[in-house]
Amino acid sequence: MTISKSVTVVGVNKSWKYSILGILALMSLIFTSFFLLNNGQTSVITSNSFLEISFDKFSLFLASIFCVSLLVGLVPVRKEHELSTSFLYYVLGALGIILSNNLLTFFIFWTFHRSIPSLRFVRGIKNEHTSGGGTFLIQHFFTFGCLLALLILATKSGVATMSFSQIPAPFFTWPVLILSFIIIYESHGIFPFHSWIHDMIGNLEWYKISSIFLSRAGVLLFVKFLLPTINQDPDIFRIVLLSLSIFSSIYWTIRGIFETNVTKTTTYFYVAQSSLILTGLQADPVAARGAYLHMMVISLSGTSLWSLISYVQRYTSVKRLNQFYGLAQHYPKLAVLFCLFGFTMIGTPLGAAFVVEDLVITGLLEQHPFLGLGHILATCLNGILFFLVFSKLFLGRTSYPQKIKNMDMSLSQMIPYVLVLLLMFSIGIFPSLFLENLKW
Amino acid sequence: MIIEIFYLSLLFIPLCWMVILALCFFAQLDLPERFLTESVKWISVAMSLISLTLSALVILNGSKALYFDYPAWLIVGNYTFKLRYVVDLLGSTYALLTSLLVGIIYRFSSNYLHKEEGYFRFIFLLTTLTFGLMTVSFSRSLDLLFAGWELVGTTSILLIGYFYNQVQPIRHSLKALVSYRLCDMGILAAAAWSHHYMHSTDFTIIPELIEHAHAGALSLLFIGFFIIWASLAKSGQLPFCSWLPAAMEGPTPSSAIFYGALSIHLGPFLLLRFYDYFSHFPILLWVVGFVGGASAIYASAVGRTRSDAKTLLAYATISQVGIIWVEIALGFTQFALFHIVAHASLRTWQFLRSSSLIQDFFENPTVLQDKKIHRNLSFEKLASRMVRRKIFIHALHGFHLDYFTNKILDLFLAPFKFYIEIEKKWMSWNNKFVKLIIKK
Repeated sequence: MTISKSVTVVGVNKSWKYSILGILALMSLIFTSFFLLNNGQTSVITSNSFLEISFDKFSLFLASIFCVSLLVGLVPVRKEHELSTSFLYYVLGALGIILSNNLLTFFIFWTFHRSIPSLRFVRGIKNEHTSGGGTFLIQHFFTFGCLLALLILATKSGVATMSFSQIPAPFFTWPVLILSFIIIYESHGIFPFHSWIHDMIGNLEWYKISSIFLSRAGVLLFVKFLLPTINQDPDIFRIVLLSLSIFSSIYWTIRGIFETNVTKTTTYFYVAQSSLILTGLQADPVAARGAYLHMMVISLSGTSLWSLISYVQRYTSVKRLNQFYGLAQHYPKLAVLFCLFGFTMIGTPLGAAFVVEDLVITGLLEQHPFLGLGHILATCLNGILFFLVFSKLFLGRTSYPQKIKNMDMSLSQMIPYVLVLLLMFSIGIFPSLFLENLKW
Repeated sequence: MIIEIFYLSLLFIPLCWMVILALCFFAQLDLPERFLTESVKWISVAMSLISLTLSALVILNGSKALYFDYPAWLIVGNYTFKLRYVVDLLGSTYALLTSLLVGIIYRFSSNYLHKEEGYFRFIFLLTTLTFGLMTVSFSRSLDLLFAGWELVGTTSILLIGYFYNQVQPIRHSLKALVSYRLCDMGILAAAAWSHHYMHSTDFTIIPELIEHAHAGALSLLFIGFFIIWASLAKSGQLPFCSWLPAAMEGPTPSSAIFYGALSIHLGPFLLLRFYDYFSHFPILLWVVGFVGGASAIYASAVGRTRSDAKTLLAYATISQVGIIWVEIALGFTQFALFHIVAHASLRTWQFLRSSSLIQDFFENPTVLQDKKIHRNLSFEKLASRMVRRKIFIHALHGFHLDYFTNKILDLFLAPFKFYIEIEKKWMSWNNKFVKLIIKK
């Protein structure tokens, strides 16, 4: 009830905006330094053995890229954006998920995090403000049910409040595996539990959607809960998981190719890339390292792409990709940034994703050669989708030039993006320096 | 030692120049055209001299291949990505061809693109192409070769869309992109496949490893098919022919360097690199010969129905490259290399002269008479008039190649389209259902 009231306060207050940005900046600094200084030790904070928050290297890594990505995406467009106060709840919920270290804590924060958009949808449908939202609510309710069932099974086995790393392998029976599979795949937007993503776009601001993806609830549950004992799980389970995540990437890419809405297409491109994270994690240790790097790349580059798209949409009336808009003539710097961010994500040499593809494909082919070919197809299609979006937006010539203002980015607005790009290309050129740190 | 310094210079000169240009762009330094022209002039002179000396040294060394290994670029678990290079007759010849032709193109562009808005962009992309081609020429492993291969593809696509404020070049660059990405899958798959079955992507030792590999002949044969698949798009062979004439939308110097000279011959270059491997599998040589022969006949027939100079040249190029494929299939590898050099040089000249064709025609009217003589001696006369007319009509439509490829694409996309429709209906049903519950 309290949450519902708070959500209704949509802030346009400048001090609120700067407070949120300040908090994000502070947390980015803290988590990144903790992550870099952490040598593999885990600090656990517990409350009456129920709630368990962990500052292990993986959680710190996730928290760091969560805060840095949002900050990089929000800072350059701060003057134009109205950050609503409810965004703080999204940040809080996401950080709770990222740092949770047992099933009960995960359940509480996951429910809290998903309830914020759910309540907004309920209110929107009631007042007839929202277009859609039904699928989001049904899937959220379904996954909530699965998570509750998993928690009941865990309570019966006495592992609900146990740290993820201490859960014994015999707990992972078929019902547990199936329930976890649904939760992980639904949280990650993977086929066939993906339809809620369509509902979010257009109804939520980009940074809120981004915060939902950046919480990486599915990845966290997979890495902390399933991964330690995955070698003892049936092979068929792993093959189904791998096939679905590869298929999901292909599906999202093709969906993006057919879609004309700018925000939807960008989101589909992002989700298609995200699906490949789970592929890498499931394949083998080499591919898993690639997947961790991939998570960093798409979090930073993907959020920057979203942020650039929101900037474009603010100054132009571009909503649909049903024609060429030729924005590069009006926004040359922005076009170059957009293009380079895309390159860092689709596996262009010297960019970070090139390393990722090399590791993931090699690792995957070691285990399942034919699934590896599917992954290669997904990667190639992703590249096509990106170029399609880029050319429709920035190249060609628009039929409505009067609707486009010349408001290219200033040097100060470009700085955060350029820093991220430098990082992405540094990863692409000196990958070993970064991969050294991605061990836990 | 000298050879090592020379070939490393050929790699580092374009790389450093590329980095300098990128930094200048981000620092918003507006480099004057004169400075750019002078710089690339001296760079191309230096590169030409270095590559000429390198080729001479290789020949003096008895055309023996020299291998260079450097510390691993990437180490993750058991996987290492080593920087392996080879300097041999094939690589040094291609590097020499690259240096000389790129130099000519730089010189030609200084007049042709004088005071053009995108001159800086053109120089940057041409430098990236040079770096990509040098990487392909000297790389000894498939992973490294793929990096150079991708750079060539990316620059090619960006240069087709050089006149980015026109719609048609952008459409054509997207067409080229689809062909490139689909075929680039082949090289990536070949790299991963050979890594999986032979634990190496070093193509100089792959033929030796074949006898010791613990895999069936079919698995090893796949590598060859992937290589052929990868070569198809770059060299514009069947069924990936139609993008090449469309790619002529770019500026004439880029058409010359890409589709007359260097990029188009990368396919045969790759086949020559893998010739030792192909010789273990005669069926692969049959496939190479068949594809090359069919493409040569197809392009020759279609080219005769076209009337504009650049399109005619494009089909003539496909036809010649098809013949080079046949030469490789027949085992005339030295002759194929000579053919590549001769053909690339002639086509560059023809493409560069194509823009002043009308002037040439008025200066030398005997051109038309030569054409008449050629027509009278044509083999076409052997067929009956009716057969010729039918062939002409089909050739005019490019033997409906685009129609068939679109049909195949539609077949692939049909299940996705069907699912998208179902999902839309399902989401609308969800919305109605949730609305009903909430309203109640």
